[in-house]
Amino acid sequence: METPLNESAPLAVELRGITKRFPGVVANKDIELRVRRGEVHAIVGENGAGKSTLMKTLYGMHRPDEGQILLDGEPASFRSPADAIAAGIGMVHQHFMLADNFTVLENVVLGSEPTKGGRLDRSAARRRIQEISDSYALGLDPDTLVEELGVGDRQRVEIAKVLYRGATTLILDEPTAVLVPQEVDELFGNLAELKREGLTVIFISHKLDEVRKVADSITVIRRGTTVGTADPRTTSAKELAELMVGAELPVAAKRDSTVREVPVLRMRGVTVTAAAGGRAVVDDVTLTVREGEVVGIAGVEGNGQAELVDAIMGLRPLAAGELRLGDEDIADWSTRRRREGGIGFVPEDRHRQGMLLDAPLWENRILGHQTRPPAVKGAFIDRKAARADTARIMREYDVRAPGPDTAAIALSGGNQQKLIVGREMSAHPRLLVAAHPTRGVDVGAQSGIWELLKDARAEGMGILLVSADLDELISLSDTLHVMLRGALVATLDPRQVTPEELGGHMTGAARGDDSVGAA
Amino acid sequence: MTALRRLGLSLMAPAIALVVALALSAAVIALIGQNPATAVRVMFDFGDSPDQQTQAIVVVLNRAVPLFLAGLAVSVAFRMGLFNIGVEGQYRIATVLAAGAGAAVALPGPLHLLFIVVVAMAVGAFWAGIVAVLKVTRGVSEVISSIMLNFIALGLASYLLTGPLRGSPEGASIITTTPIPESGWFPGLNGVLTGLGLAEPRSELYGFLVVAVLVGIAVAVLIKRTRFGFDLRATGMSASAATASGVDARGMVLKAMLISGAIAGLIGMPDLLGDARSYNTEFTAGLGFLGIAVALLGRNSPLGIAFGALLFAFLDRAAIPLQFADIPASVVTIIQGTIVLAVVVANEVARRVTRRQAEGGSAVAPPTSGDGSTGDGQGPGDGPPPDVGPTTGTGTGVGVRNATGEPGRTDSRQGAGA
Repeated sequence: METPLNESAPLAVELRGITKRFPGVVANKDIELRVRRGEVHAIVGENGAGKSTLMKTLYGMHRPDEGQILLDGEPASFRSPADAIAAGIGMVHQHFMLADNFTVLENVVLGSEPTKGGRLDRSAARRRIQEISDSYALGLDPDTLVEELGVGDRQRVEIAKVLYRGATTLILDEPTAVLVPQEVDELFGNLAELKREGLTVIFISHKLDEVRKVADSITVIRRGTTVGTADPRTTSAKELAELMVGAELPVAAKRDSTVREVPVLRMRGVTVTAAAGGRAVVDDVTLTVREGEVVGIAGVEGNGQAELVDAIMGLRPLAAGELRLGDEDIADWSTRRRREGGIGFVPEDRHRQGMLLDAPLWENRILGHQTRPPAVKGAFIDRKAARADTARIMREYDVRAPGPDTAAIALSGGNQQKLIVGREMSAHPRLLVAAHPTRGVDVGAQSGIWELLKDARAEGMGILLVSADLDELISLSDTLHVMLRGALVATLDPRQVTPEELGGHMTGAARGDDSVGAA
Repeated sequence: MTALRRLGLSLMAPAIALVVALALSAAVIALIGQNPATAVRVMFDFGDSPDQQTQAIVVVLNRAVPLFLAGLAVSVAFRMGLFNIGVEGQYRIATVLAAGAGAAVALPGPLHLLFIVVVAMAVGAFWAGIVAVLKVTRGVSEVISSIMLNFIALGLASYLLTGPLRGSPEGASIITTTPIPESGWFPGLNGVLTGLGLAEPRSELYGFLVVAVLVGIAVAVLIKRTRFGFDLRATGMSASAATASGVDARGMVLKAMLISGAIAGLIGMPDLLGDARSYNTEFTAGLGFLGIAVALLGRNSPLGIAFGALLFAFLDRAAIPLQFADIPASVVTIIQGTIVLAVVVANEVARRVTRRQAEGGSAVAPPTSGDGSTGDGQGPGDGPPPDVGPTTGTGTGVGVRNATGEPGRTDSRQGAGA
């Protein structure tokens, strides 16, 4: 799968034998990377494979223990990101770092403001930004407030920020994770513009189809080292995935329907308002989840899915409507009572709602299950049993970590997520609320989590699946609802719908409504 | 990584901080024209005769007991990210009311004691409860409301002392409440000291020491081993994750503050029941603020707080001998201040180092969370120390100490934005 190297194009970035060790672990070993000027170069690999460590090395956030960084053939050494920026390297982070109440202009210049007589030189800044926006077709208006922008526009502001600082090599960390298909296409259009102007793009992603679509060449990382390069034109997604995980992938075959008649969760006319008496963020939602059924909720992020999940978990009060778990009305139950009553929860943001990062894994095993065995005996924590059960979860759910006493923060995203899924499954809930269960998780862990969800469904668990991954929704769901501006606008049959159709419903285009929902 | 290595790491930061603080203090002593070596010798000089030495130990222990309780009170709130600056007011109002209630009733010995202690805890809890209710119902920051309630508590205590609860005759130089009858006195521990073969000291070793140790163990068990303690710590580490796990955040604020206040109510008990027998205008002040420093020093663990309280008590005892050696007693305040500052800085550095190592993928012990506060000790003046003996005075009142800071968990995300 070796790409024939085009010798005429000079290498913008070359990494030779980069090795980076942390106490007790080698994060990167003998990394070889050759990125030609003016190409889009994708780096793919499982979570925890060492992509972020490598990018941090290239962006000057830490220094490699061994190896060389060459920029345009010249050896370079970075003490800090400031050095990397000065050398023309820019990073677009996965999570945007923008101030909502500032304009595009203010956000772009923040930290390297052009001044005239000690004051911000707005006209100079506006000229530069307009220039950048025009030459790379970013379509930015310098005077719009960032809070008024959608996700795709915010990403373009981030790109403009990097270009403003004179970057010639851009690192994009998981740029498509937050975008819908139409926005992804726009982003790829922008990348093509950057390429045409001779800039180099390093593109980190899990989504192999996208990588094949946009990249000129691909480097695969596995277990901290580069295992090969691939030509996207001649390599299939399956071959790429196998190169990434180093084994053949299980085929995600759809199984027979396991849907039973008994309803687990019934919502009728559920409405949630932003503030008391304010705008409805969840608008008159009626849905049923039955035993053995996966009900998928599709939608552009920010259309009320998070609030819907909060309402089911008791984290937000209902303004109106009825919420039943089995036959019981749970609208007035506390979050703890709902969990005890048999609702499992895989939250959207595991760092915010699912884990205590500074706490050891066995304490994270207890979180959300404080009132139930095996971790608790009466009013006391049973440390021994909690540790033992954590070890069991680590074994059964393939959580790769040194032991139950490891701090949760030391685990990669995929392993953290497997621990959360394992913990929730271990309580045998009747209903599992899974919000973006495979977000930021590598291919290996992703298929593992999918298998777990399918097994649980076969055993009769009802699952409410909120996701932005359309393939995940289509392949797992028995029933698929589309959420737009807080309301369920369409109910689709996942066996017949295509990602494109679904995308149309999500943006309202399918109803002849061409304005995209709030992001 | 072995448990031993982990322990070593967690002890290293305070040890380095202590050395830095002592070096800084030595520099200050040298700057004011005194010999640091003399100061150190005076501080460690416990007297020549055996009874002087036991007396010095008793003074240190008696001072450490209320400091320990104050540290515990602060740490319980700290553990869930609440900054209870109101410990000062809570213990002052609790002590004056407990003294008044204790003098007003006649009960048999143990019951009388229990009654006084329960009144003190209830008053302390009530006073802290006001802060909690304001926070959960109106969203008032506990820092602001507890500071303001300190002023109210101090004023109220003065009013009660000079008005309804006044027991001393008109024109007395020290105004006191009516003394508590003997059935409400807490027996001392000097019998234990002599039983150990030590010389009989002149002051009584507070029997309340035993209660303080029991409270310390109870708090340690509560925080580390119970479901309630887990909820409390989880809330302190991540309020959003705790809420999603089913912890009732408002209820936890209320419970944590009530416990903190109840412990704060005990702070005045060792002095009240073991020595003073009444609340008076000379009653030890500033323990609530010192408690914040002690809790920081002990990283919110009961064992650490015990060490912190002993260290502070040891330094306090040195205040008077230092004056005899012509070294100003405020040197003690300077040392205490630099120690707290250095320890807080060192703890935060250690926390970031361990976190960074953990993020790098290695398995490192979880860093203690929740105490990334900055505390700055600053004493506006020395309270007049009651002169007890010509050779070994019991140095109390090293001055009120103000500590400011946020119990903030520092966001150590490493993203260096472009």
